[in-house]
Amino acid sequence: MESPGGLSLGLERPLGLRLKEFGASQSHRSFCPGVLSPPSYPARFSFPLCVLQAAQPLRNPSEKLPRSPLCLSSDQVLRILAKNEKQLSLLRDLEGLKPQKVDFWRGPARPSLPVDMRVPFSELKDIKAYLESHGLAYNIMIKDIQVLLDEEREAMAKSRRLERSTSSFSYSSYHTLEEIYTWIDTFVTEHSDVVSKLQIGHSFENRSILVLKFSTGGSRRPAIWIDSGIHSREWITHATSVWIAKKIVSEYSKDRIVTDVLNAMDIFLEIVSNPDGFAYTHSMNRLWRKNKSTRPGIFCIGVDLNRNWKSGFGGNGSNNNPCSETYHGPSPQSEPEVAAVVDFIMSHGNVKALISIHSYSQMLMYPYGHSLEPVSNQEELYHLAKDAVQALYEVHGIEYIYGSISTTLYVASGITVDWAYDSGIKYSFSFELRDTGRYGFLLPATQIIPTAQETWMAIRTIMEHTLHHPY
Amino acid sequence: MQLRRQPLSAPRPGDTRPAAQRLAVPLLLLLALQGAAASGGPEDSGWLQDAEPSSRLLSQAARAALHFFNFRAASPSALQVLANVLDGRSWVNQKKEYKFDLVFTTEFYSAEEGEKRLGKCSAQVFFRNEKPRPAVNVTCTQLVKKERRQEEDYQLYKLMKQLKSPLNAVSIPDSHGYIAPSLRPIWDLAFLGSSYVMWQKSTPFLHYYMSQISSVKQWKTNDDAIDFDYTVLLHEFSTQEIIPCRIHLVWYPSKPLKVKYHCQERQTPEEASGTEEGSAVALTELSNF
Repeated sequence: MESPGGLSLGLERPLGLRLKEFGASQSHRSFCPGVLSPPSYPARFSFPLCVLQAAQPLRNPSEKLPRSPLCLSSDQVLRILAKNEKQLSLLRDLEGLKPQKVDFWRGPARPSLPVDMRVPFSELKDIKAYLESHGLAYNIMIKDIQVLLDEEREAMAKSRRLERSTSSFSYSSYHTLEEIYTWIDTFVTEHSDVVSKLQIGHSFENRSILVLKFSTGGSRRPAIWIDSGIHSREWITHATSVWIAKKIVSEYSKDRIVTDVLNAMDIFLEIVSNPDGFAYTHSMNRLWRKNKSTRPGIFCIGVDLNRNWKSGFGGNGSNNNPCSETYHGPSPQSEPEVAAVVDFIMSHGNVKALISIHSYSQMLMYPYGHSLEPVSNQEELYHLAKDAVQALYEVHGIEYIYGSISTTLYVASGITVDWAYDSGIKYSFSFELRDTGRYGFLLPATQIIPTAQETWMAIRTIMEHTLHHPY
Repeated sequence: MQLRRQPLSAPRPGDTRPAAQRLAVPLLLLLALQGAAASGGPEDSGWLQDAEPSSRLLSQAARAALHFFNFRAASPSALQVLANVLDGRSWVNQKKEYKFDLVFTTEFYSAEEGEKRLGKCSAQVFFRNEKPRPAVNVTCTQLVKKERRQEEDYQLYKLMKQLKSPLNAVSIPDSHGYIAPSLRPIWDLAFLGSSYVMWQKSTPFLHYYMSQISSVKQWKTNDDAIDFDYTVLLHEFSTQEIIPCRIHLVWYPSKPLKVKYHCQERQTPEEASGTEEGSAVALTELSNF
């Protein structure tokens, strides 16, 4: 059973010793670059990126000492040996009692297996008291996570990634940005005949914006674009896209529709459209929606990336108040995350379908959002949506409603699919995945795979229609 | 397969008139009626029925009715959520007040996946301009029998009494949507308290969901009743805002819920303070509405 935060990194031996050898005396205490904090922030926080880097087994003690640290935290990683089921269940309770505060690298599985748990500095006292009071034996695996890296870290990371395979990646868990980006590299390596990775730009905080390209050849073939995670708190969307990426490659040359599509068209998949926001949902605020852009003199952070497109910009259903969750930004495409996609799609020039994945509400919709006016091929889109929703329903009996965005969800201006449609992409759709409010954004990880399975069938329907209706 | 929840106002193929145009006709009627206002009518005059009620509006009204129903039932083991609107009519008057007549089905909030719907309700909901909260008249049938519900509430109550106080700064669910089984009663009780708040705050254009318990200030069970002081994050759908609400409730099985709250509306540089004082009723008994 997967632990909620679980990603097994296959650590073979305690790392604390090695890092201590040449890590302990280095004290480059600086904050993680690229992570901007508004003035009111508490200074201490742990940045998941540095933690994951620390998890990599070091190859040999003679490796060069790093010069510039990526970031630093005085979190610790504790290794706990649970003697029996009762102790295991105490550890699982800890996850429930201190959610977001403990991070299982190796979750409570069986009494014979060690449990590795990263504990933020602020929680150490509490957690250790809890362990001690329950008679849980632990040792400190990583005493003080000081990650000291230099320009060679990229090479180190790359070679380590090659050692792992995507079969050890848990598709039924939510992952951090680093984990997804690592998975992308592994995935591309494993399926390099069909998949490649493109960097289409940088986020406001200078993170890479990555797109997976699925192609069996040709040159600038007509293409299908899929994006997810434009609103960072919609975690189910990234998880669904990752699963779908795997599904596409596994279905090629097995499933007739996928094979036909990929033999004639390319697929572009942008899993994390808002990497800054996504990192923020892991580190500080699980319910963050916007990007992390700041402007001088403006008190609040972030622009709603799904109000920043050049179609009906600034209209109803968007807000010119920077503190609003639907703040559209100072001007269309002002945000680098949006500009990157616009530039890519425009210069590609041959995108025939665009699917933008959100949550929650269980809806499949087409333009317009900014107006109640129906689009010219509205009848075709209505029937296609109906078919796609039927295909989705047949997987797990989940019911979606469908229609134009403005009549089904709400009026919203400056949105992706309106821009796509106005740019000539006739088949533009927006998904709102599970559920309908019971868990909302905090959809349990147990629903990831069922959601991905059913969503895939709807997307496959749209892809097939696009293939058979060239324009 | 009957696709439920398909919006009643979804444009049919061939119906290319924009919705705004379709509304224009009833509006013209309204203007005509104003000249010949029916005086001495049984209710407030000037109510105009919407010929094509938006299914979105009907759903929102149904949810508001259910929030009130859940609050009044005060039964954390029998919380209901909206399944389908079966039938609905809506009226608007010159003052832009709305009223609804609804029939809808419900599901158990705490049901495991796979358990299907149970309840059926009829409700009248009146969104007035003066009183912020909607006036609701709601009856539900086919629900769990009262004795069984009380028994289940009592079992839940016993479980709650056994819970050690949750550590401060606990988030339920966690980021991964996980609620530890032992903490499930806390979630259900929090939802009950939130129902009161969400009922109070609902309008035809604002509707809420409970996202997460972000902190527990107090969980007292030494007296008879459960005394629960917590902060919940409400998600308002049309603005997409997350609104933290501090809620303090006192619950004992089969007794009415006592609750007071204070929500923090979004801070902006222009507004001095975004806070909104909630119910002025300071933990007095709220017996009948």
